[in-house]
Amino acid sequence: MILEESPFRARWDLLIAILVVVTGLVIPFQVAFVRNVGVWGSILVYVLDLFFFLDIRFNSRTTFREHGLEVRDPNRIARRYRRGMLPWDLLSTIPFDLLLLPWAHLVLGGLPVVLLLRLLRLGRVIRLQVILRRWQRSRSTNTGYVRITRLLMVVFLLVHWVACGWFAIAVVEGLSADSWVARAGLADLGIGQQYLRSVYWSFVTTTTVGYGDIVPIGTLETAFAIVVMVVGASMYALIIGSIASLVSSIDSSKAAFWNRVESVNQYLRGRGLPPDLTEQIQNYYDYIWDRYRGVSAPALLKDLPEPIRLEVLFHLTKELIEEVPLFRHTGPALRNALLMSLEPQVHVPGSYVVREGERANGIYFVSRGTLEITAGPESTSHGTLEPGDYFGDLSLLLGERRTASVRALAYSDVFLLPSHEFDRLKAEYDEFKEVLKVISSEKTEKMAELVIEGVIL
Amino acid sequence: MEIHDRAAGGVTIVQLDGNLDTNTAPDAQVHFDGLANGGQTRIVVDFGSLNYISSAGLRVLLATAKKLKGMGGQLRMFGLNDTVHEVFEISGFSTIFSVFTTEAEALEGF
Repeated sequence: MILEESPFRARWDLLIAILVVVTGLVIPFQVAFVRNVGVWGSILVYVLDLFFFLDIRFNSRTTFREHGLEVRDPNRIARRYRRGMLPWDLLSTIPFDLLLLPWAHLVLGGLPVVLLLRLLRLGRVIRLQVILRRWQRSRSTNTGYVRITRLLMVVFLLVHWVACGWFAIAVVEGLSADSWVARAGLADLGIGQQYLRSVYWSFVTTTTVGYGDIVPIGTLETAFAIVVMVVGASMYALIIGSIASLVSSIDSSKAAFWNRVESVNQYLRGRGLPPDLTEQIQNYYDYIWDRYRGVSAPALLKDLPEPIRLEVLFHLTKELIEEVPLFRHTGPALRNALLMSLEPQVHVPGSYVVREGERANGIYFVSRGTLEITAGPESTSHGTLEPGDYFGDLSLLLGERRTASVRALAYSDVFLLPSHEFDRLKAEYDEFKEVLKVISSEKTEKMAELVIEGVIL
Repeated sequence: MEIHDRAAGGVTIVQLDGNLDTNTAPDAQVHFDGLANGGQTRIVVDFGSLNYISSAGLRVLLATAKKLKGMGGQLRMFGLNDTVHEVFEISGFSTIFSVFTTEAEALEGF
């Protein structure tokens, strides 16, 4: 069995995607331009077939997702493949042309029938769709890149096919003096030149540029040109539309974020704020963008169902959970309750987390950065707080105003456990008080010194 | 607030009546300093009649405990009401102070 999201499947998909594109390029090229492909040209095609037979084998063992569950039952996997892509994969992989090898010189309209039969292999292109869908679902790939890849593949294969078709038309016309190839003076040139001119016409027509240096004259050529124009116009629309939506989607979050920042800046300029404060605000947004890509965690979390939100919080606060003694001693239920109650805050250097004289609003847990405790008119320093430290408990417990301020020295992330949540947790979880007792005993000396110095936070 | 001292063996029991807050803390500090400077390094504080303690009171007790420890003595206490007890437990100071439930327990082995 092969897991859908395994690294092996991902690498194999990449190989198959490349081989599909190679197939899509080689086979029409052989039909239209080479025609007499020889042994090596055929071997190349059959070697490709080997890979696709292997792919069929792997596909019939690759797990899939149904209603969000990964199905690993081999019977169900096989049945789903049999009813889904298998017939198509077989049709585009079984070398039917081998049956015609005894009549290898059979020709239809100037084109070898064996090679025409090989065009069935172009059906493999459908596999790209499956592979791209798998890439799109895997978490590691940016959907923008997947869309660009798909767009490029569609464009180049289509242009290539039109070029091959356009040249094949001339071959069907027997490369006579009336055919476009003769009129363009390509009849006696090498395959490279012929291909280049065909691709040129293909691009000129599909992009609706239409210089008119190569024009259709015969019935076949005219009919083909009409089809290409229709396809080309649609493709052109697809390209323009895709690129427009890509550009806007790749940058949408960034644009939205900086638009918001810009509107804040305009407002601040309008109100004549001091430059250093404006700069502090700018720094804050820079930091938020660097660290969180502009996504505000609370807004994101609000959308999620509670269990996932817990998972996300757990992940986001993993450092905190490892650093802050509070979490080292809590059971899972209390830990979850704590995680749900904590409010994340970001502070830029110089900004105050709490100020002297304020009433308690909860307990702060430092998860990142360095903060300084200052007190009095001179802002005398009473030491620093590092990740793992917490403060705000004494003023909360004693119901007194703070006698000191806490200011960020570096960019700092803190989590606030608001006082009402503190009260609730204390009432709901007997364990909470025990935990606080245990953790407070680990920092008693430092706290005692601060209290003796008159610092109540 | 009123402060009463009792002797029990070589130990001084200090009974605090009323509120130990910003107003009364300086008096309490003077009292404890007096005991310590007079050579009383084993002190038990009776919280039985104390209604309320503020940060200033906490500061007095912490400073005294530190001072006594430096002199080779100790500060013990008993009879804390629920509120005071909770403050001590959660703030972690109960590990500095040696908190006991009754006077007998506090005196045992002191």
